Amino acid sequence: MTMALTIPAERTAGPERWTLPEARSLEAVNAIVAAPLLERSSWSWRAWWIGLCVSLAATMAFLVTVFLVFDRGIGIWGVNSTVVWGFAIADYVWWIGIGNAGTLISSMLLLMRQSWRASTNRFAEAMTLFAATIAGIFPIVHLGRPIYFYWLTPYPNTMHLWPQWRSALIWDFWAILSYILFSILFWYVGLIPDFATMRDRAQTRAPAIFYGALALGWCGSSRQWHVYEKLHLALACLGVPLVVSLHSVVGMDFAASLMPGWQETIFPPYFVVGAMYSGFAMVLCLAALVRWGFRMQGLITTAHFDVMAKVMLAASIIMGLSYATEWFNAWYGGQHADRSLVAFEFAGHYAPMFWALLLCNVVIPQAFWSSAIRSNVIAVFVISVIINIGMWLERILIIWNTLSHDYLPSAWRMFLPTVWDWLLTFGSLGLFALMFLLFVRIIPVVSMHEVRKLVAEGQSP
Amino acid sequence: MKATRTTRHSLHGLDPALDRRAALKLFMTGVAATLASCGRPPEEVVPYVQMPERETPGLPLLFASALPLAGYGRGVIVTSVEGRPIKIEGNPRHPASLGSTDVYGEATVLSLYDPDRSKAPYSDNRTQSWSAFEAALRPRLDRHRAKQGEGLAVLTGRITSPSMLAQFESLKRSMPQMKRYRYEPIDDDAIRNGTKLAFGRLATALPRFTDARIVLTLDADPIGAGPEQIRYARQIADARRAQVPTNSLRLYSAEPDWSLTGALADHRVALRPELIRNLAIEVARGLGAPLEQATLPDEIRRFAAAATADIQARRGAALVMAGPRQPAEVHALCHWIDAQLQAPVDFIASVDPDAKSHNESLRTFVSDVRGGHVETLIILDANPLYNAPGSLGVGEAIRAVPFRAHFGGFRDETARHCTWHLPLTHALEHWSDIRAFDGTASIIQPLILPLYDSRDPHQILAMLEAEARSPTLDIIRNQWKSAVSEKGLADWWRQTLHDGVVANSAFEKISLPTAGLPSLAPVTAAEGFTLALASDPAVFDGGMANNAWLQECPKPFTSQVWGNALHVAESDARALGVRDGDVLQLRHGEATLEMPALISKGQAAGVLSTTLGYGRTDAGTIGTGIGVDVYPWRNADSPWLIDHVTITRAGHRAELLQTQHFFDLEGEAEQLQPRLTLADLVGGKFQVERPGGNPPTLYPPSHDDTYKWAMSIDASACIGCNACVVACQAENNIPVVGPDEIAMGRDMHWMRIDHYVVDARPGFSPTPCMHCEHAPCEPVCPVAASIHDSEGLNVQVYNRCVGTRFCESNCPYKVRRFNFAGYADGQEYGNLGEDIAKAVFNPNVSVRGRGVMEKCTYCVQRISVARRAAEREGRVIREGEVVTACQAACPTQAIHFGDMSDPHSRINALRADPRSYSLLGELGTRPRTTYLARLQNPNPDYGKART
Repeated sequence: MTMALTIPAERTAGPERWTLPEARSLEAVNAIVAAPLLERSSWSWRAWWIGLCVSLAATMAFLVTVFLVFDRGIGIWGVNSTVVWGFAIADYVWWIGIGNAGTLISSMLLLMRQSWRASTNRFAEAMTLFAATIAGIFPIVHLGRPIYFYWLTPYPNTMHLWPQWRSALIWDFWAILSYILFSILFWYVGLIPDFATMRDRAQTRAPAIFYGALALGWCGSSRQWHVYEKLHLALACLGVPLVVSLHSVVGMDFAASLMPGWQETIFPPYFVVGAMYSGFAMVLCLAALVRWGFRMQGLITTAHFDVMAKVMLAASIIMGLSYATEWFNAWYGGQHADRSLVAFEFAGHYAPMFWALLLCNVVIPQAFWSSAIRSNVIAVFVISVIINIGMWLERILIIWNTLSHDYLPSAWRMFLPTVWDWLLTFGSLGLFALMFLLFVRIIPVVSMHEVRKLVAEGQSP
Repeated sequence: MKATRTTRHSLHGLDPALDRRAALKLFMTGVAATLASCGRPPEEVVPYVQMPERETPGLPLLFASALPLAGYGRGVIVTSVEGRPIKIEGNPRHPASLGSTDVYGEATVLSLYDPDRSKAPYSDNRTQSWSAFEAALRPRLDRHRAKQGEGLAVLTGRITSPSMLAQFESLKRSMPQMKRYRYEPIDDDAIRNGTKLAFGRLATALPRFTDARIVLTLDADPIGAGPEQIRYARQIADARRAQVPTNSLRLYSAEPDWSLTGALADHRVALRPELIRNLAIEVARGLGAPLEQATLPDEIRRFAAAATADIQARRGAALVMAGPRQPAEVHALCHWIDAQLQAPVDFIASVDPDAKSHNESLRTFVSDVRGGHVETLIILDANPLYNAPGSLGVGEAIRAVPFRAHFGGFRDETARHCTWHLPLTHALEHWSDIRAFDGTASIIQPLILPLYDSRDPHQILAMLEAEARSPTLDIIRNQWKSAVSEKGLADWWRQTLHDGVVANSAFEKISLPTAGLPSLAPVTAAEGFTLALASDPAVFDGGMANNAWLQECPKPFTSQVWGNALHVAESDARALGVRDGDVLQLRHGEATLEMPALISKGQAAGVLSTTLGYGRTDAGTIGTGIGVDVYPWRNADSPWLIDHVTITRAGHRAELLQTQHFFDLEGEAEQLQPRLTLADLVGGKFQVERPGGNPPTLYPPSHDDTYKWAMSIDASACIGCNACVVACQAENNIPVVGPDEIAMGRDMHWMRIDHYVVDARPGFSPTPCMHCEHAPCEPVCPVAASIHDSEGLNVQVYNRCVGTRFCESNCPYKVRRFNFAGYADGQEYGNLGEDIAKAVFNPNVSVRGRGVMEKCTYCVQRISVARRAAEREGRVIREGEVVTACQAACPTQAIHFGDMSDPHSRINALRADPRSYSLLGELGTRPRTTYLARLQNPNPDYGKART
């Protein structure tokens, strides 16, 4: 109560700020969200079909690449004796970073009572789940002998062999696994009331059975809501430390090493922020597409873009500071290898990409200081895409720069990507798009019950 | 229950009324019996009925033998496993081996199992039989014999085999008109003519570097590739080991391009090849020769002054030598200088008895063919159509001979243009004998029956003589019968085979008249570019171009593999705007040639240099079409130097394949490869900095109750010859990856030679796994495939490795190698996946599959052999009992391996040496492989003396 008194009125969460008038009734919310799924005649899926075909083609490219990797070995990529890691690891870090935002929006903002999250958390969570799943594919595909990936698990065997617990890759394995399991659970729990809504609104028998089964007998009793709220909150409390630990562990994949440019204590927090940054950028891209595709201007408003752009502005400044800290510490630490690496970043073989990364991640996002740009959906969309490109460049350069330019100059080699590197990367985008398109076709893309709650708060005295 | 009992009963009684259950039971019994029974092996296998003599399965047998290089022998000890020779090591008793090997010796086993080897006689575009050849040859031979051998000619390489020379003698006796020509592409014509000029007779100079304290090489490379390499490298390294400035050999070197000798030298200048003569004159003038003063750049003059002062001060222990590219007059002048200095040089009669020079011999051959004097040509183990100087027109001459038979190991360029090609045995397949460059004879023992329908050279010569065919072994034994009494022959023979050398067979020293001073006038620098040729450090003269180990052996200085390049001096490259990989067009008269450029810092301006042995058109699957052939550019009058070459940029680029790339460094090289001078070391002023020593650690100390293996590498002694690299490849079943994979930045060598330049002086550091006590690769492996064993080895468990490659990512030394493809396991380069090529594998080392990380094991299989022997005898492994493959190969004994837990072991002494340092020791990895800093012995008065 005291909180509410100190916060200015226009800053409080409320339907006036986060919805347009046409969406300010409970029925309107249900109708906007459920109509595309249930009223097939009144809805055109043409753009969806086009998207599906394109993403299917890209997914095929991904599968062909993965098949070739299994058949001919990872030698089809540009990895070499010195730069033994390449696109697969960069793609993994990038995807797992994208997978950050859903949980962050759902859990962290829930705990911070940012009710505007209601209209974005569903697809953000779906994005998280898909991105984390795709991210989970890469460490397996990247193995020299992928059929033995299960040796990373502590399964009972006659040789009494266990994984090597000091390895960051084992921490990573558990982090990804627990994160994916958590994401599925959290997502599904949040979906139960909406499945019930879909079941109740279904006009034909098939969807009623389909959604009814998924709704697990939800009838909206106050006891159910009571339990639900507790569970949701408890999961959110689990989610926040989990998402922080996951990205810290990803950071430790590099930091728990001996290499210049990797062995840095800043890496765990820096990876958490980086993940949030790219995750929010991806959420914004998807928000713009969902808003356009499902005509949800009433539910996803420019105010949402405005507030998320602010988050990204903050993140971009933190990223810039992190980069600067790395450079400063390289100089201040006085180690020749570190200083030489920073010089290589700015002026070496990959320098154009490094400058592009600084432009994408630090310079261009400063446009978000302008409120006009923050509330311009197209501008936010474009900048978000740029940020995601920048974040991918950051991930590949973390690998390339350090491995191409470490302690022994005699071993310095550059990385030359092959067509299969690119197909794997773009193919994974296709797989993500495919999963997301199937999701929006089947599952309510916005959390109806949470938006209803937001709207209802505005209506109650 | 009852029913069952009834059924069983009826079964025993074979009741015809078989019910359903009983039938099923019978059926299942049958199926079970079939499944449990033994299957037939997928292919026919034949067990030993009688074990071959001395063969114990799993234990290798060692045989002493000798291998030829350019006709001279190097003693070797061949390891044979179940009848397969798989590894070559040096023979300590042999003067041209001293227990060490070179890249060619190490790679020989791969050539033996080369799938491209010629397998049967060939003529008229089809496979033939030996009897068909003999039928074709016999009438011709009879005709020639009737004419005392007129019209019959034999062309060979250099032959030093006493038995073969005796066979030639006997052929000559029965056919006095028969002609024999001999041509070795890596010729020593100028050297031999130099002794003729100086002493009036043919002789071979054998410098004793161990007795020398000052050596000046004039475009000479005594430690470069060649039959003398191992011996001279060992002598020079030993002479430099003494850590007393006055007692250690100081090396001066003047050369147009980089040689291994130049890299090792304490003072080295780059000089156009023709101006080397002026330098020699300048030195001779300093010793009182009445010669005309030569013009020389100031830098060279300073060098000459310092060198002259030094050699004068050390008369009796100073030596000046010129290289094969220098004209005979310069060699003669060097002999005169050496005579003034009472230099430690011995002279012996020429081991190659042919008095003619190689190019002269070939020229005579061409004129004889043109004169119609050759009707039947026998080419014995030579490939003149590839390696003869282009100026002679040898190709047309050979094609003009009506009957021409080529005997060789491969169907090469010459074979393609002969009417007959006949396969020759490999040196590991036949009996023979051979002399080393100092005359020491060895018996060549066969290690394996000929793999194909081939014959050895002795059989060929016997065939020409139309003798009753006696086994080659008898030919060799008869040759040596005269050496001992009839009674002692059996013992002598056994002892000689065992030792690998014929006792006391080295040529006697001869005394020569005092060398006369040749009349030698100074020259002025030639206009334009001079192309300086050299034998190749990887493929030598091109004869072994089909050997994949050699093709993938990184050349010193450039780390280039799978090809040659045109080395251009840095200043010339800058003036022409040429970058590495730009293709240049060379023009000399009418001839043109295109070659990719490789900028060489420290090469004399105006000099272009490249190596022979590439551009083969018929070498085989591996060697054909690799690199550029420069033989056609050679001129019989000046085979090594081609003047008046002009170059232009061809306008396109070619990919240079290098395993080490070179960058401009900011002080890293001094850190990674510290250099110090002998004077500083003795004065105690300098100790290699060990930044921070070993940083503290939280990890418990390693096991202390057993062996602690460690390696020490003397960067001072390393000459960069690559013998260790190829030895490691042979010992550890390391596959080649091929040029395409090299272009992708992949390679598999466990041992690499790092090359850094400090103050414009290159230095070499062999880099195997460091076997860090706190190995960064171990904690990062998620499946514990990279672990430490109790004896301090960092081991890689191949069958546990899943291929995350984190270990290599985290290795500061980048010494781990990943199988990106099945380089040894289904995705082999070229034809090395063929069954016969697999015979080269060492059965004690696993062949690694795709997707697995591998690395140097300190030859754990050899440690294991020693441990088994020690445990059987209830003792510990003795000092020096474990010798790693790289250590065994090293001509200069730069590598030492031993047990740190023994306080008196040599490895502890080496690790306590003030020169000892750990590579990147400041990282806290505590490497078990340590280095001794590169030591130089410069003249403190250099540049101070009056010029």
